[in-house]
Amino acid sequence: MIESFKHLEQLAAGRDVADVFLETDEQEHAVPAEMILEALRKRREVMRDCVERGKNGGESMGKLVGNEARLLNEAWQSGRTFLDPLTIKAELYALAVMGENSRMGVIVAAPTAGAGGVVPGMLLALEEERKIDPEKTVRAMVVAGGVGSIIALTASISGAAGGCQNEIGVASSMGAAGVAYMMDGNVRQMIHAAAIALKNTLGLVCDPVGGLVEVPCVKRNALFAVHGLTAAQLALAGVESAIPMDEVVEAMVRIGRSLPRGLRETAEGGLATTDTGNAIALRLKAEANQRRADRAAERERLAQERKAQR
Amino acid sequence: MIPPGAGHSRYTFADMAIRHDRKISILDVMGPVMVGPSSSHTAGTARLGRVAHEILDDDPLSVHFYLHPPLAATYRGHGSDFALVGGSIGLNVDDPRIPEAIRIAEQAGVEIEFSEEDQGDVHPNTVRIEIESASREVEIVGSSIGGGVIEVFKINGFQTRFKGDSPTLLLFYRDRPGMISDVSGIIAQEGINIASLYCSRKQRGKDAFMQVDVDSPPSSAAIGRICALPDMAEARFLDRIP
Ligand code: SF4
Repeated sequence: MIESFKHLEQLAAGRDVADVFLETDEQEHAVPAEMILEALRKRREVMRDCVERGKNGGESMGKLVGNEARLLNEAWQSGRTFLDPLTIKAELYALAVMGENSRMGVIVAAPTAGAGGVVPGMLLALEEERKIDPEKTVRAMVVAGGVGSIIALTASISGAAGGCQNEIGVASSMGAAGVAYMMDGNVRQMIHAAAIALKNTLGLVCDPVGGLVEVPCVKRNALFAVHGLTAAQLALAGVESAIPMDEVVEAMVRIGRSLPRGLRETAEGGLATTDTGNAIALRLKAEANQRRADRAAERERLAQERKAQR
Repeated sequence: MIPPGAGHSRYTFADMAIRHDRKISILDVMGPVMVGPSSSHTAGTARLGRVAHEILDDDPLSVHFYLHPPLAATYRGHGSDFALVGGSIGLNVDDPRIPEAIRIAEQAGVEIEFSEEDQGDVHPNTVRIEIESASREVEIVGSSIGGGVIEVFKINGFQTRFKGDSPTLLLFYRDRPGMISDVSGIIAQEGINIASLYCSRKQRGKDAFMQVDVDSPPSSAAIGRICALPDMAEARFLDRIP
């Protein structure tokens, strides 16, 4: 088992980090490396499909989001954007995935569904822009997943446990390591990319409006995909985190514990309890009650029908 | 019925920061492939429903979900109701029919009910599921702890620690000396490695339960031999819960 990031650095010195992760996973979970890679190839395809479907936007379940990807895409296609293509693609792909997610579409949780746009946004945008072999993206997914699994040894990966730092923060950190891998960084640079990304999401609270994974989640994925890219850029240039990654994770756990309950996915604080947030929550509740009443009526109708048949 | 607060002490909320006994795999972190919008509220809950379905191993006639208060407050907005029902009628977490699951279940005549019930000092996203077929009844209590990962800590009243991430044997038997070695002997003859083994019982010499996580599925002949062991009431084999 890879005990810590310090341990990882020793184990992987001079080696391909993806191989190190594959070997340990193989030993620990009795799944052959080739099966892991094959599963991840399929997941990369799911991510790609998701991006394609999501680019056109569409209404979300709670109707709070939906057109973000389409608007950015249109602006870009018509030459109205000012950022570089890699950044725009990272934002666009993250938005596209999250749009699909909010419509109950099929996505890849990486590491969670609510943070599922960050890693594909970063890795798929980089793959296209730098013309990187998709197989290398798959191996970068191994690295990202491996980084997430070490974080998960000490931290619970859920907004309910420690706020959004535990979800989108972790996603951004995983993606940063994956990007450093795709750009041929060494293990030390990958770990520092992860540390720089995670460190600068600490304290990020989980305050989803109406309890839905829509606001602020969808746009937050886009912003933190870019955040992860810049962290990887710094690390690849040789910048290091003064606080080692293992300690950053510990800090995240401590911060998460001291977050009040209202800022841990309960929708009882932060953005969720602004005037607008409260109004939206009321509307959602009314709609849900209506749906429940409709369903009860439908149930009743079905029961009557069955009785009539008998 | 589970007596209030019984047996939950090991799984307190604060415990989540304590090191897990087993590392979460790469595929768990970079996955699962699932229907949105929330891995803990949709994928994890669908998998919990699926566990109940797999243990029941029969067409369900009724499913009752008892949601821990924090989950009861958030489940509808996240589609957990569709997911729980979808899993309990056997749908995978990536099945695009999950948004339709409640309708599908009701058309099949499955009775569905949701209610709120405090499960004690446990993870916020915890649910107790009672599922029934014409001839059988299963009860599980489990949490969706994030990223689609689950921890079932009670099966039919027995304490356990089931995660659904490896092939597993669930054995219900009458407590007696030698049962563990009988079971592990049969599995060893198959050349299969036991990853972990967990036992609990209600009282010495009374009903007991064993969960055996194995590295690969045993043959049906081996499962048959385990079933035929003296004092074995029931043996269920569950593959990885997708
Ligand atoms: S705000 Fe909460 S629900 Fe939204 S992405 Fe972050 S952790 Fe997930």
